[in-house]
Amino acid sequence: MNCEICQLKELEVEHYEIEEVLRCILHTIIFHRALGLVRPKEIDLELFEITYVQCGDTEVEKKIDEKIEQFICWVEKHPNKKSQICLSFYEVKNKQASWFTNKIERLYWEQWYINLNVVQQPKMHSSKSSNSKVTVESGEDSHEDRSVRRTTLEGSLRDVLFQIIKFVNDKKDHVPPIPNREGVISFPYEITIPSSSDSAFGMDMIKRMLQTGHPTMLS
Amino acid sequence: MEQIVSQFLLKCLHIILNSRIPSLHPIRRSTVEPGSVSRVRKSDRWFNLLLGDRPSVLDNLNFWHRNLTDPMIVDVILVHEVSNSSSVDNLYGNSAASRGGGSVETVIERWTVHYESPQISPQANDSLSHKKAYKKLIVLLRALYSQMRLLPAYRIFRQLHSATQSYNFDIIYKVSSFSDPFTLTRVEQEMMDEYMFSTPVEVVPPGHISVSVSFRKTLSDFNLDPSTSLIPRIISDYVGSPATDPLRSFPSSDKGLQEMPFPSRGTRLPSPSPFQRPQSWTSGIHRGAAFGYGFPPTYGLPSPPDHFVHRAQSYRPSVQRTTSFDDYQLSPPFSPASSPSPPGHFLGSNPLQHGRPRPGSAPVMIPRQVATGTTRYATPSSSDSNRHSLPPPSPRSTRLDNSSQESPSGIRMYKKQEISRTGESHLGTTSPYTGHKIMRDNRDDSGRFSGLLSSSDSPRVGFSRSSSRLSFQDDFDDGDFSCPFDVDDVDASDSPASHNLEGKRASEFAPASPMGTKSRDAAVGVLVHMLRTAPPLRQDLSCYTSQSGKTEQDGGIATASGFFMPRKTTDGLEELRSYREMKDLLLSKSATRVFTTEEA
Repeated sequence: MNCEICQLKELEVEHYEIEEVLRCILHTIIFHRALGLVRPKEIDLELFEITYVQCGDTEVEKKIDEKIEQFICWVEKHPNKKSQICLSFYEVKNKQASWFTNKIERLYWEQWYINLNVVQQPKMHSSKSSNSKVTVESGEDSHEDRSVRRTTLEGSLRDVLFQIIKFVNDKKDHVPPIPNREGVISFPYEITIPSSSDSAFGMDMIKRMLQTGHPTMLS
Repeated sequence: MEQIVSQFLLKCLHIILNSRIPSLHPIRRSTVEPGSVSRVRKSDRWFNLLLGDRPSVLDNLNFWHRNLTDPMIVDVILVHEVSNSSSVDNLYGNSAASRGGGSVETVIERWTVHYESPQISPQANDSLSHKKAYKKLIVLLRALYSQMRLLPAYRIFRQLHSATQSYNFDIIYKVSSFSDPFTLTRVEQEMMDEYMFSTPVEVVPPGHISVSVSFRKTLSDFNLDPSTSLIPRIISDYVGSPATDPLRSFPSSDKGLQEMPFPSRGTRLPSPSPFQRPQSWTSGIHRGAAFGYGFPPTYGLPSPPDHFVHRAQSYRPSVQRTTSFDDYQLSPPFSPASSPSPPGHFLGSNPLQHGRPRPGSAPVMIPRQVATGTTRYATPSSSDSNRHSLPPPSPRSTRLDNSSQESPSGIRMYKKQEISRTGESHLGTTSPYTGHKIMRDNRDDSGRFSGLLSSSDSPRVGFSRSSSRLSFQDDFDDGDFSCPFDVDDVDASDSPASHNLEGKRASEFAPASPMGTKSRDAAVGVLVHMLRTAPPLRQDLSCYTSQSGKTEQDGGIATASGFFMPRKTTDGLEELRSYREMKDLLLSKSATRVFTTEEA
């Protein structure tokens, strides 16, 4: 059983756009993989002229929203970073009880990587020593910038959705047979967000401390 | 296996129609709770995709689609009007476009579902392969469903489906079982972008099902703006209260009666300086108001009534179409489909105007369209068009502003003409009594009107009537005055007032009644205006105005009272009384003055 991996096109999003974009992408993927009886629900994005389809399951919605919240918290701690969210579908295989504990093995058969580059307005950077000049400049053309960026993002988001659909259509063979379970979601899935326990995180912290000049360090 | 395939085809069609054809969704799909899954029809459970009610069309599909191996081709066709009626370009060779109405049908999407199964291969009754195929088809359908929403045509569908506005375009579909490649011209084919839904699904080896779509990448070539705009906003603003923005914007209407021609429209109206209203309700509304007010510039119209008649007649054949053409069909406000009198009437009253060709009234048309929008899902019938054929509410013209240019300019002009005529009639009326008379005439008017009124819901009619209480004085009631407020400035000084009045009316009218009634009220109003312009009334007016020195004011007041006419007899009577008192007062004043001078 090979695991199909799909790397979605990277999207440059601003902080306030994260939630909508993520929700759209995650729901779309799950809609295509929730092969149970589904009553599709259409949702219009507020920020963009895009309509996506949800599978209509409240539990799924809740789970996705939770994850998105967690992700946003993480992003706030790590501004201006490229991040990746992984949505994986797995099959549960009970491994034979060996002399280790009876592990339930997860066999991932599909993984989606959502690549986001969270961009923040320069003036939002309080930690950096952004002088007022920079802020003024960004303020002047931020409107135009923003609309341009917004349009680009809309186009990219649409591309990503098309990409998802294409991938879903192209590769169907690896989808395991639908288990006979009730409910919408036929396959278990999990969403992974970068955790704060990354070693990179630690490096970032150190770097930042050096830049801002921790009082204790300077003295 | 065959059952799976046929169900798949049905499902595909269901999805496509659901997502593209607004007419099959008369009721907005009410939010169905996920919990109500248990009540789902068994037939809907196919492929684990609940779609809701199946259009009855699908039931016929099995009958029509005899051979499963024929490709099923669904064309999504956009029908829209072009302003240039000479460019009748009917791609499908049916008679729709040939009706001088200038409607063009363009294929915007072509979906092809094809099940290929070479010969009669031994259908492996392998349940496993069936299951696999079924699963794959499920995924395919999901992808199809999402795809429907990502293609550009979906936006248009949403516009049409919103049902709060009416448009002068429509989407229809056509299902065929053979590839009709030559309905698409070369150029068109180039414009279409092909998207193949991946590799064909292997259902039962060696057969496979494939779904593909050719779609037009951009739909911006078409002017697909709503023909009426901001109606919901108007309605929400107007809750029977006099003070709404549109009214307030009237005061400074003395900027000139030059109305800004429908900028977005294809009509090449000679445009005088745009009518700038200081306060605008919204871009659309203001423009619309401007239309109403603006002194209709001289449009080079080919006789609007004729045009109107022509268009009206185009209704009838369209009724038979499977999908609704109601939007733009009913738009010509005075469809004489039912009776020739409206055009005749207009024609008759034309001479009364100072020989000025009054441009057609697009504004009038718009309300009609709004009305039609709501009635869109009613069975199109000539009787419907009859009812709606009455003079469209000119106040609707406010909405016209943003309307797309597709609506025939002729009709627009015609409407304007109507509006201007009625405006003139307003100005002409000074005597409340005459207004009263008009009211009566209005009542006795052609059975059409009474029919019209009665056909509308009574509360709505009543509402519109009461709302048409326009006070010509600055205290602009936000009445939903249904009278078209064409601004005829017979009298330059009166024009601002009439502008205001008309603008107010437009605004009032717009929110006045929910969709359907507006048209009727407007029709009533227009009729009233028409009656006012009848010669006898004018005579009354002239002798009345000559009496007092405050001619204009009286005229204004009288006009105002005239405006009120259609509303209620009681209102008219009250006004009549008040005016009589005023008149008496003035006369007595002048009398006393004379007396005092004599004395002196």
